[in-house]
Amino acid sequence: MVEETKANTVSFTRRAVLTAAATAGAGLAGDAFISTVDASDTGDDGVAIVKQLAGRTLVESDRIHLVMPRTFPNGYTVPLSLEIDCPMTEADHVRNVRVFAPRNPLIEVVCFHFAPRRSEPRVSTRIRLAEPQYVLAVAEMNDGALLMNKTWVEAATNGCA
Amino acid sequence: MATMFTPTPRVQVPSVAAKGEIFQVKALISHQMETGLRRDPKGDVIPRKIINKFACRYNDIVVFGVDLHEAMAANPYIEFYLRATESGRLEFIWEEDGGHTYALTHQLTVG
Repeated sequence: MVEETKANTVSFTRRAVLTAAATAGAGLAGDAFISTVDASDTGDDGVAIVKQLAGRTLVESDRIHLVMPRTFPNGYTVPLSLEIDCPMTEADHVRNVRVFAPRNPLIEVVCFHFAPRRSEPRVSTRIRLAEPQYVLAVAEMNDGALLMNKTWVEAATNGCA
Repeated sequence: MATMFTPTPRVQVPSVAAKGEIFQVKALISHQMETGLRRDPKGDVIPRKIINKFACRYNDIVVFGVDLHEAMAANPYIEFYLRATESGRLEFIWEEDGGHTYALTHQLTVG
């Protein structure tokens, strides 16, 4: 009985929070949509920022498979899966993969580090997104090459508020 | 909003694997992941407190690592894949802002 009461309190609070967040998020998402229509169709603004961060030439590559839903009901836990076609030998492996969300308040999301022959360049996680935007993944290969791919994601609420 | 729950790490890893086999690891820690971007009702910034690093060691060798930033979701979940090379100990370490760490170990038998 005590437990039930406790559970109800928790879920009520959570619901209140989520409702408030959804209401706030809808307004923001609306604004964001207007501002993205002109600029970000190509995702080039994001690419430019990430290029600056990376400091080197990015090569767009279909060896990088970045899988995210095109639309998602909330920005708090957007699923992200990443896989890179790579044998992971000493001679050809992925050192790390960085994920960027250029329209988030802080654009770096996560960096995964791999080890040749020990780990596979394949991960899944969940991230926060503030606005509809291109999410970018940049893989640094063992020869220093930077391979990049991107995918468009629209989260219905702001996950960074 | 600063709830006082203790972060609890969890992993899902096979106990047995064939030599050379690639196996899946699921790692999760319950954690608020306070971004430092939010304000409390009084208007003060709620300080950032996130898990900022995760590492997996396999017989003391780091085989997989993650740098987490503010845009990782609360209760960060990480699914990754390792190659079974030899029997031994897998160690999972989460590091929080402020230096506190949470760890789990797992015994893997490679046959």
